[in-house]
Amino acid sequence: MLLKPKTSLVQKIYFVDICKGLFITMKNMLFSKKVTIQYPEERRDYSDRFRGMHYIKATNGVENCTACMLCPTVCPAECIHIVAGERPDKEKYPVQFEIDVLRCCFCGMCEEACPKDAIKLSTIYEMSQTHREVYEKDFLLEQRGNK
Amino acid sequence: MPKCIIDGREVTFTPGQNLIEVARSAGIEIPYFCYHPGLSVVAQCRMCAIEIEKMPKLQTACSTPAAEGMVVKTQSDRVKKNQKSVMEFLLINHPLDCPICDKSGECDLQDFSFDYGDPHMRYTEERRTYLDLDMGPVIKKSMNRCIHCTRCIRFGDEIAGIHEMVAVQRGNDTEITTIDGLPLMTEYAGNYSDICPTGSLTLRDFRFKKRAWFLKKTPTVCEGCSRGCNMEVQQENNMIYRCVARTNLDVNKHWICDEGRFNYQYAHDADRVVEPALQTKSGLTLSDWTQAIRKAKETVLGKKVVALVGSDLTQEEAGLLISFLPENFQGISIFHYGTPGVHSVKDDGHADKILKMKSKTANLNGLEKLGLKGFESLPPGTQAVLVFRGGRAVVPELRNVQVVGVGVFNKPQAEKFEAVLPGASFVEKEGTIINFEGREQKFKRAILPVGQSKMLSEVLMMWANRT
Repeated sequence: MLLKPKTSLVQKIYFVDICKGLFITMKNMLFSKKVTIQYPEERRDYSDRFRGMHYIKATNGVENCTACMLCPTVCPAECIHIVAGERPDKEKYPVQFEIDVLRCCFCGMCEEACPKDAIKLSTIYEMSQTHREVYEKDFLLEQRGNK
Repeated sequence: MPKCIIDGREVTFTPGQNLIEVARSAGIEIPYFCYHPGLSVVAQCRMCAIEIEKMPKLQTACSTPAAEGMVVKTQSDRVKKNQKSVMEFLLINHPLDCPICDKSGECDLQDFSFDYGDPHMRYTEERRTYLDLDMGPVIKKSMNRCIHCTRCIRFGDEIAGIHEMVAVQRGNDTEITTIDGLPLMTEYAGNYSDICPTGSLTLRDFRFKKRAWFLKKTPTVCEGCSRGCNMEVQQENNMIYRCVARTNLDVNKHWICDEGRFNYQYAHDADRVVEPALQTKSGLTLSDWTQAIRKAKETVLGKKVVALVGSDLTQEEAGLLISFLPENFQGISIFHYGTPGVHSVKDDGHADKILKMKSKTANLNGLEKLGLKGFESLPPGTQAVLVFRGGRAVVPELRNVQVVGVGVFNKPQAEKFEAVLPGASFVEKEGTIINFEGREQKFKRAILPVGQSKMLSEVLMMWANRT
């Protein structure tokens, strides 16, 4: 035999509970601050520690990166590809510096491993695109100062 | 066997062994910079100083032979304090350019600094800097990184036989350089990079190509001459980046020559034929295996054929050919070829006083043992020639005959050939070679065959199966 829970008359009518519930709904609707924002027009402030799109920091127009390969070594997604080279004003520099963002998991370990403070993650989070893209060195250098 | 006690452990040794080697045989590491097992002992870096009971001062382990009943402490506070001080002293002028330096990852100074050094530095003055002079095509010098261990000076003096590196000035200003700033003359210059405990002498060829920790290492044997030096091929993603010497005290000790060190480069040469090719009206053109084998068969079958087996093939490959060829070609005569002027083991000899031999192919001795004779000239009436080559042998001039090449060829070499069936070079196969002393050495495969090239056994199988 199925045991039915015992309910009092007030509970059976539901009316008091409905009033309680509606009271909370009305309170939030009419008096509390709005949580949503009008996204493209309004922006939320993110912490400086947010891990968004990568960029290469430069000092006096010269990239900080010396192609030491610590970021590809530490990268768990293996999305960084660097080819090192030599030029007169810099002993070792990255000829090619590519980040395959589709593979990136934004863990920020590259930023942590970098001894030259060269690879950084900015607060940019809008990275949707209509095609698959690998970010190249020139593009990553242009992204400076977004933080 | 005499015994001594190191860190409370009883260790047996052979008389004359120094404490570094004795400790190493017991699995105890004593750090050192200036000592090298293949060079004389100078005991000037002071890093290997250890405490011996009944001796008032610390003793350098490299210059102290072990003695019966000696009680050695390598972990005492005095030893550790000394190691920390030496590390700090060496790092005073060492630049912090590990991110740029090619040695990082396999650097003694880096490793020992991590293991025995202090993470903090008290030195605040400006570091000493030098202007680097060019040292020729093999070695790139960065004097700023030098810790004056003088291994390179001793190597030139004792092993290479040319006293070309010297230390000029003294004390803090000491500079290691070549005499009069001349480029390095020795043909063993690559070893300077191997023995340097820091990144002062690095290979120009390997400069900035790859970091040391990415490389996968395969023990192999050099095919550069009939010495058969032991070396290590270092590759990543089927691309070889460098070769370094592997220690074998019976064959090459710790050294290899530059010819052997850079010999691997032909494997990735742009001119190498890595796809089956056949002769058409417009010269040698790339094709596929079926057509190339058909063309090769047309060229050879039913004719008087001579087979030339390069003495750079392995024992296994040569044995395969010796059983395969007579079965498939009536009246075939088989010769081996390799270096011009070296037709048999009798012609082979030392090319210099260190390692190099006259025969520039590795397996001359092995092929002679299999009963092959050296190639002098084509027998009269020869119509077609099958040439098997591993990558080092020099193909003799063949006139008025049709030639089919099997193995490693580059485009200019194979220009006149009727067909080329690409084979594997020494880094792409495994096998056995027999050096001039009769020493049998096995080597392992380092990379997969480049392009469409195949093992000789696979080529012969296709030859036998396809019509």
